[in-house]
Amino acid sequence: MSTQQKRGIDLGLAIAGWVYLLLGFIFLMLPIVTLIAFSFENARFPTLPWAGWTMQWYQELLTDGRLLQSLQRSLIVSPLAAAAATVIGFFAAYALNRFNFPGKNLLSTLFIVPILVPPLILGVAFLGLLSRLNLQGQILSVFLAHVVILMPTAIALIGLRLAQMPKDIEEAAWNLGANEWQALHRVILPWAIPGIAGAWLLAFTFSFDEFIIAWFVSGFEPTLPVSIYTFLGANLSPSLNAMGTIVFGISVVLLIGVELLLLPLLLDRQSSVQKDETA
Amino acid sequence: MTQKLPISTPRSPARWLPQETSLLKYLCLAPAIIYDSIFFLLPLIFLVWIGFWSVENYRAVPGFSLSNYLDIFSQFFTRSRYGFAIAQSLWVAFTTTALGILLCYPFAMALVFLVPERLQRLLLVLAIMPFWTSYILRLYAWQTILNNNGLLNTLLVRLNWIKDPLQIMFTQWGTRIGLLHYLAPIMILILYLVLRNTDRTLMGAARNLGATQWQTFWRVVLPLSKPGILYSAVFGLIISLGDVLSGTILGGGTGQSILGKFPLFSAIILNEYAASTNLPRTSALATLLIGIMIVILMTGFKLAESEQ
Repeated sequence: MSTQQKRGIDLGLAIAGWVYLLLGFIFLMLPIVTLIAFSFENARFPTLPWAGWTMQWYQELLTDGRLLQSLQRSLIVSPLAAAAATVIGFFAAYALNRFNFPGKNLLSTLFIVPILVPPLILGVAFLGLLSRLNLQGQILSVFLAHVVILMPTAIALIGLRLAQMPKDIEEAAWNLGANEWQALHRVILPWAIPGIAGAWLLAFTFSFDEFIIAWFVSGFEPTLPVSIYTFLGANLSPSLNAMGTIVFGISVVLLIGVELLLLPLLLDRQSSVQKDETA
Repeated sequence: MTQKLPISTPRSPARWLPQETSLLKYLCLAPAIIYDSIFFLLPLIFLVWIGFWSVENYRAVPGFSLSNYLDIFSQFFTRSRYGFAIAQSLWVAFTTTALGILLCYPFAMALVFLVPERLQRLLLVLAIMPFWTSYILRLYAWQTILNNNGLLNTLLVRLNWIKDPLQIMFTQWGTRIGLLHYLAPIMILILYLVLRNTDRTLMGAARNLGATQWQTFWRVVLPLSKPGILYSAVFGLIISLGDVLSGTILGGGTGQSILGKFPLFSAIILNEYAASTNLPRTSALATLLIGIMIVILMTGFKLAESEQ
């Protein structure tokens, strides 16, 4: 039997499948290609036929400065929010993975709930609370709110990594006389690093791209997506394409991180012992 | 690495086991629980509570009044037409989610069963790449593509396939395309992971017992991938119901659909707040959305339970 027959897929279906994959990738890539291409087109309203090349939109972006300023703001708040969520998430994931206690399943379900609530609702809710505390309308409020929505995925991903750790490694450390804290930071932390890094990357991406909560709470210190939204309403300009190309550049770097850290974590799951870490 | 571990005192075997009474457990769980309580539970409780406040002289006044809800329901089908907006939101969310699953499932299947193992990871990274680029800027790019004199229409007119440009922008089809582009990478990832874990020996057995490839699909592959379909559906519905950007940027605010030219409920919540900064009323509208979400999620979980 040939491999094709073993898989049980005949040739016609295989060709249809490849064509479908190609069409799918065209759909997925089209806006990204459009964004990059038209950031270099010499026309105020991006359309075909091609009107020649220019760098003026990048120039405009630099001279205007508003978008760059909010990019800067986003590049400060998103890594910090991602870091805070990842650290809190690591400890929670460790406790859920290591200990048994009544209400454990309920608790791990409750930790997931924040991502089941649409950000729109959370945005209004945060605004209500933060305006009582006089914390609304600053970049700090975005940080406080984002940590909440970033924690669930951080807990889940780090939990996934911890579940792949053979239990006897930590027990061996105890046997050798390490106390719990020593075992935690000498044995478990090093093991969890890929999970922590992957979780941080994903959290950063969520925060960097999050619009609605930031729109409600950021006020006069808008993050990048909020600035772009305001910009879109006021004046359409191809400098948005230029901004998009820059953001894409940042994400390509992140994607390499994802390829190295996040995917192995998700794909190697089946090769390790299956655990009920996901509630 | 310099600190020496106290290895000289051997411990009793009982202490090798995880210490269930350990303080560590509470210390590790405390930050997450405290943070979620203050910045997740408290705001939600506040939200529901503020929905019962009233506004006097442009200031929110704490108290308990049903005025927001009475006002909302009194113009449910008239002036502000919240009822129609909710219907539009549900219609767009359900059709987009269904479309997303129908389109992403074959994609994930082709990825798992056709693409050679060593290429799969690369193609998967490419497939989820859009997720790592700015959503709002992708929508802006879709504007460039779908406009009346955008790339797609220019191309189709040049090819003489159509005479008049297709009106996609400012209809709910525009909204759906934008949402699909957001949902597709995640749905593909979820379905890919589930399909990859499908037991190949079961499929082989079905084929050996004489099942055609369609029978193998309907009887073996599809039932085994139900959890993935369910996760994708929940994800798609939550995102579509809560999203404002696609409906505004591509749907033009009040996009045309089979139901008519109505805005999405999410856009109403955002725009009413932008126009009035009336937090009590906005909170009441958001509380309504919570109610809708709970009904949908409960139905979903009930369905999932009855399947098992």
